[in-house]
Amino acid sequence: MEDYDVRSAASILASVKEQEARFEQLTRALEEERRNVTLQLERANLPPNPATSQPLAWQQLVMQEQSPSNATSLAMMQEPQEVVEETVTIEEDPGTPTSHVSVVTSDDGTTRRTETKDVSANVKVTKMVKTVTTRTVRQVPLGPDGLPLPEGTSPLGSYTDSIDRRYMKNGSDRFITPQATSTLTRSYNNSYNDSYGETPESQYIRHYGLHDGYADLTDNYGSLSRGVNFRPPRYPYMPNSYRPENSYTLPIRKDDYGHVAQPQVPMGSSTVDLNRSQPERFQPEPYGLEDDRRSLGPEDEEPYELEPDYSTANRRTLPGPNRGRTHREPLRDMHRVRGYPDDPIEAELIEERHPYIHGMYSAPLAQPERGSMASLDRMGGRRSPSIDSIRKDPRWRDPDLPEVIAMLGHPIDPVKSNAAAYLQHLCYENDKIKKDVRQLKGIPVLVGLLDHPKSEVHRKACGALRNISYGKDNENKVAIKNCDGIPALIRLLRKTNDMEVRELITGTLWNLSSYESLKMVIINHGLQTMTNEVIIPHSGWEHEPNEDSKPRDAEWTTVFKNTSGCLRNVSSDGAEARRRLRECEGLVDALLHALQSAVGKKDMDNKSVENCVCIMRNLSYHVHKEVPGAEKFQDPSALQAPGSAGPQRKKKDDAGCFGGKKAKEEWFNQGRKSGDNDKNYDTLDLPKRTEPSKGFELLYQPEVVRLYLSLLTESQNYNTLEAAAGALQNLSAGQWTWSNYIRATVRKEKGLPILVELLRSDSDKVVRAVAIALRNLSIDRRNKDLIGSYAMRDLVSNLPSGQQRPAKNLEEDTVVAILNTIHEIVTDSSENARSLIQAQAIEKLVAINRTSQSARETKAASHVLQTVWSYKELRNALTKDGWNKSHFQPAVTVTPKATKNGKPGYDDTTLPLMEKNQDGYSTIDQRDKDCKYKTDDGSADPTEREPLKNDTNRKHYIRSNRPAVSLVDACDVKPQPVDSWV
Amino acid sequence: MSFVPGQPVTAVVQRIEIQKLRQGDKLILGFSIGGGIDQDPGQNPFSEDKTDKGIYVTRISPGGPADVANLRMGDKIMQVNGWDMTMVTHDQARKKLTKQKEDVVRLLITRKSLEETVRLQLKSMLS
Repeated sequence: MEDYDVRSAASILASVKEQEARFEQLTRALEEERRNVTLQLERANLPPNPATSQPLAWQQLVMQEQSPSNATSLAMMQEPQEVVEETVTIEEDPGTPTSHVSVVTSDDGTTRRTETKDVSANVKVTKMVKTVTTRTVRQVPLGPDGLPLPEGTSPLGSYTDSIDRRYMKNGSDRFITPQATSTLTRSYNNSYNDSYGETPESQYIRHYGLHDGYADLTDNYGSLSRGVNFRPPRYPYMPNSYRPENSYTLPIRKDDYGHVAQPQVPMGSSTVDLNRSQPERFQPEPYGLEDDRRSLGPEDEEPYELEPDYSTANRRTLPGPNRGRTHREPLRDMHRVRGYPDDPIEAELIEERHPYIHGMYSAPLAQPERGSMASLDRMGGRRSPSIDSIRKDPRWRDPDLPEVIAMLGHPIDPVKSNAAAYLQHLCYENDKIKKDVRQLKGIPVLVGLLDHPKSEVHRKACGALRNISYGKDNENKVAIKNCDGIPALIRLLRKTNDMEVRELITGTLWNLSSYESLKMVIINHGLQTMTNEVIIPHSGWEHEPNEDSKPRDAEWTTVFKNTSGCLRNVSSDGAEARRRLRECEGLVDALLHALQSAVGKKDMDNKSVENCVCIMRNLSYHVHKEVPGAEKFQDPSALQAPGSAGPQRKKKDDAGCFGGKKAKEEWFNQGRKSGDNDKNYDTLDLPKRTEPSKGFELLYQPEVVRLYLSLLTESQNYNTLEAAAGALQNLSAGQWTWSNYIRATVRKEKGLPILVELLRSDSDKVVRAVAIALRNLSIDRRNKDLIGSYAMRDLVSNLPSGQQRPAKNLEEDTVVAILNTIHEIVTDSSENARSLIQAQAIEKLVAINRTSQSARETKAASHVLQTVWSYKELRNALTKDGWNKSHFQPAVTVTPKATKNGKPGYDDTTLPLMEKNQDGYSTIDQRDKDCKYKTDDGSADPTEREPLKNDTNRKHYIRSNRPAVSLVDACDVKPQPVDSWV
Repeated sequence: MSFVPGQPVTAVVQRIEIQKLRQGDKLILGFSIGGGIDQDPGQNPFSEDKTDKGIYVTRISPGGPADVANLRMGDKIMQVNGWDMTMVTHDQARKKLTKQKEDVVRLLITRKSLEETVRLQLKSMLS
């Protein structure tokens, strides 16, 4: 480490030296020019005062500082090697009194400036400055590094230069230097036209092409980072910092700000100023900030994505706004240069090949940022300190938030869009600023801009909202909702065809959807629009498929990913949300189509698939109780009205459990009688379908079993695995015809071995979902037998043995889930209890019962032990192994009876609560959702496990409070160490 | 192997080439990895710097291809066939290692003992 430090320090030093040498050369050349100009200036300047000799000295200083950055910006801009040279004459008429500073520039290149000054001791000096500029164009000699030798100031620098200069007070005459004035004109005539005339594309290609180049050259690192500190636009302030007295720094800035923001400034002049400078500074900036968005997008969206979210991940590893920022830029550059969005993969590859690009990148990124800062800066007021360490530079000040927010209402569109872009930039990973924006009432303004006709404006506003909506602070989300941001976003989604804007909209909606109280709002305003505009078209599903055309595959676009993520979140908002989604026309059909296409293409690890499976899983929850007409399919013994919630209903359900057993067995035998014929289930009392099922019916058609099993076999994405197992778990719960059918189909499709195999998964939550699915599946008697004989060892091996946990170190929930599954399997089956004993489980169970730290584990283990002991025929074998009755008695006082009785009531009261909690989780907390599902499903199952579930729920409740946060910061939610054999 | 964002990383690395072994229809390397930027680095028992989200070798199957190639438990994988592994998710790393169409993987790894050896050598050269 040390030598690494030394080395990098040395390399930085070397490049700094090199840079300095370059500066010197440039400076010398520039000095000459300067001298010419200065002479002229002095002739035209005020009568000599004590500081007469200073201008020269100062200018030299400036040039030294300026030249490198000029070189950089020239390089970046690849400016034509023509530079405009101006000859300037300045005349001053002292004595024309005016009260304000004003600059009027006419197109003929004449600048008239009037300043009123308070010189100390109340002496008023007013000056009238008239500048006449003439220009000639000439070739500029190339510098040693192939760059044109910068002449005076860069276009970037110059503009601010001239503006600031105007407001300088004491001794400002000195600053009315020819080059400053000239630059004003120059930026107007040269850069303005230049860059305005250009398409944005060519601009960024110019920029980023170069960035890219820098990325590869480690050597440039030093020199570029050097460049960070040289911010051309701020040069005007340098004189201050270089002088012994900094006294007038602040007043100047205030002036500066006031001038632009307040109407007393002659509008004409300020408008001209803006127009001139914008094209130049504002054009590149969008990309700088856009990136912000881009970066944000992944952040909330792709935490788990296996392949393509390299960028996100990178960024995530680096906490803190500065680093985050550092990393954003290069990513953007990559994407841009490589033709994003056409070829994200290529972009990704490149990133991977240059792992340290980000690191080396601090410099180039400063360029676009600088651009943006500069533009705003010009108008800004007091310095807002928090923003970026790079800007700690005293010469540099940012506009503060109220100013930026005020600019959102600026009459000129580019100012609006740039202010929005800058806000987005500021908000990136900075919760404090997001909060401030909210408190300063910036959010309604941004939402208002969503309806702005100019795409540049609504895009930037959307980007800012996306950043603001991201994060733990739900207040921001609520604020967006409160000013009708959700309908506005949806409106824009309907209106725009711009992919990028759509990505931003759906990304924002995804962020918003993570807050539970907004879920229903999103459903109410946006469900059908999102389905029609995004889900259906991108899923490849067609309402009435054209017979000639091949079925289309799903496109895993960012928009689809964002939208499915949003729907995934809202799908967890309880029964009503589920109903709305199920009944949303085309949604289930499209999701299924997308998943089938994923399976067909063996492309199952991406985030979109994960989202789709999660939505399907959530919609499958409680289908047996919630879908219209469910009552027709209830087991005869459990018949009940579908809508009837409440205690009676649950009780009936239970009755169904017990009374239903017989019916189930009958059904099962019937199934067996009809042989292995795959059609045999059609011979069950399932209603014949006269027309193909559609909409929510598709959720529980046995055909989906094959889909989920394919996902379980092929996917490498733990979340997808978990969700697919959860879907099977949900579908196999409950007592209705379809769940009977699903349970049998899983067996017939050879799904049991697939599930058992997944018990060995490294992922805790997958093991848990699978265990509970197996428990529900074993409601089917034949499944129970099979699971008992084939899965017991894998189940048992997941249990901790005594003090030491198994290699996997599963969470308490998982252990409890496994114990409950084992309990289900050994209940009513002494054969399975025997397999349990043979799997050496008793030792583990006793150990858990006696020593586990977890009351829930202890309870669950003791239930299993009691059940095992209840088989008198097994006691001999048990005693032979050295066990006695005391081992099978509960270590804690558990009264299964009582818990049994407690169950129905519990179910009813807790359920809504749980659902609430779970909602907080949405996307990421699938896990918890699952648990909830499990527990709920359990309620339909035999009673014994209820007490345990009760605990589980409570635990979730607590847990859910925690991650309501992590939900959004997805990555942090997944802390279990994973260990993969390769 | 901590690294400061924005700074190049310097490490003493060793190249290790592992010939994959066919096991059934799968090619295996005979080791397991932990870590990745999506994992909790605090739980990595091998890293010195507990914020290091790199990919580490967690287990070696005795006599397996990795063992034969001298890969060791606790090695930090810097690259796989030229792909950076210091900033990847766990699954990205796994995928790079388990490409079925490649039967050789070349790793660039670093381990503490390597760095110490180099440091000692440097010392002896200097003194």
